[in-house]
Amino acid sequence: MSTPAIKSQPVYTALEWDRAGTHHVLFVAADEAALARRLWAQPPAGPITLILQHAGGEPLAGWLAERPPGVHTIAAATLELALKALGDTLRAAQMGTRLYLVGPEDAIWQAARLADGFGMSRDEMRLMQAGTRARPVFCVHCRTVTRGVHTHIVPCSGCGRALFVRDHFSRRLGAYMGFQIDAEAPGDIPAAEVIYP
Amino acid sequence: MSHASLNVEIGRIRDLAPGIREFSLRRNDGADFPVFSGGSHTVLSLPLGDRLHRNPYSLLGDPSVRDTWRIAVRLQETSRGGSRWLHEAAREGMRLDISAPVNLFALNRTGRRHILVAGGIGITPILSQARELARLGADFEVHYAYRAPEFGVFADELEALAPGRIHHYVQSRREQIEFGSLLAGRPLGSHFYICGPAGMVAASLNAGKSLGWPDSHLHSEQFLAPSGGEPFDVKLALSGHTFSVPSDLSLLEAIEQQGVDAPYLCRGGACGQCELEVLGAEGELIHHDLYLSADERASGTKIMPCVSRLKGGCLTLNL
Repeated sequence: MSTPAIKSQPVYTALEWDRAGTHHVLFVAADEAALARRLWAQPPAGPITLILQHAGGEPLAGWLAERPPGVHTIAAATLELALKALGDTLRAAQMGTRLYLVGPEDAIWQAARLADGFGMSRDEMRLMQAGTRARPVFCVHCRTVTRGVHTHIVPCSGCGRALFVRDHFSRRLGAYMGFQIDAEAPGDIPAAEVIYP
Repeated sequence: MSHASLNVEIGRIRDLAPGIREFSLRRNDGADFPVFSGGSHTVLSLPLGDRLHRNPYSLLGDPSVRDTWRIAVRLQETSRGGSRWLHEAAREGMRLDISAPVNLFALNRTGRRHILVAGGIGITPILSQARELARLGADFEVHYAYRAPEFGVFADELEALAPGRIHHYVQSRREQIEFGSLLAGRPLGSHFYICGPAGMVAASLNAGKSLGWPDSHLHSEQFLAPSGGEPFDVKLALSGHTFSVPSDLSLLEAIEQQGVDAPYLCRGGACGQCELEVLGAEGELIHHDLYLSADERASGTKIMPCVSRLKGGCLTLNL
């Protein structure tokens, strides 16, 4: 794994169960059949809740097919519904719970923020990026987050400025920083290239 | 931080229970004390004959009362002089140097429920934490264990802070805290804080871990008194000092007696500030601190001189 040049950029490692936990909540927003197979091969002790977001009607079959018996499964058709299910789960959860977040950064960091609100700490959560590399981008000018950004330059969905997408990442906002690229030379905007597939 | 000091006068001395005394301190220059957060302590410099003895004590008063600080001191049966001096020699009107406040036992402000546990004199930092939580309007409860009814010295102050949320466990009535049930089934975002005897702290942390509590939600504080031991020799490689540590001085105190400026903060084995590099040890390092990991101890290259010593011949330090 390469070390990012910018310290705030998250580094993700392969997901493992935290066997010190007594209840495991798995929030999944990407089809990662190999990961699913590996995790389900050696499930931890204690109840497991699986919240599956299958946006676009993808089946996420790997997560369902090899589940051990007794995994409480909640399927959600949108990220919004999946986050609502996560909130309902955490509201009733107790100390000893571990949260695992698998999916695009936009989804897993929104889920992490939700968990922060329930007082969970980073040593109770494990995050792994999977699926699209598209970035959520926070506009430093108007504070709007533009989601699903694949290019290094993007018009802000709030103020329309052409934003340069940086590697600086805010865990609190769950987004990368974007700032106006033509602030000093108005109109001088390079062509946007897809670099976050 | 180690050397910032405040000059204070002992105001009122109150005997709270057999072996427990409370001291009120005021600044000599009449200025306000610095603000401190719940769980903070100060280090008192006590004039014990020909040497200065430094002991940490938690600030138990209300942080918003800026003209007076309060500490409570239990007379240690194995006192090397600090608590004994405060119980037998200290008088109202005497002057002392104390350190600026230090907090190694801070509250987690993102916590949604706070469970505070005090054993005996361990109530002192818990009391200032409870004051802070009460002021914030946070959700908290206090579990206060003590030997016999007369030792529950801050029960009334606690009750006033959080009526109905203070639970008492009196050892003479055979009441004790069952940590397994205390920590089970707690909502997410709960934080646990304990100050008390070593065995009680260890039992509670083990109970928390086995229930899946992560380290970041288990908070504890213990101050160790440096236990004496066999004398040993020390060589300071950088300054060239060679001297012996007598049985009744800690290694840190012996270094200070040589006029060598060594770092320190808590002087109780908790904070890690005084860590020194061991270049050579003829004998066995006797680690008493709560700071070094098992691996660091095994490496034989680090020592916390505030509480730890050598059993054997000569210890060479990179100082």
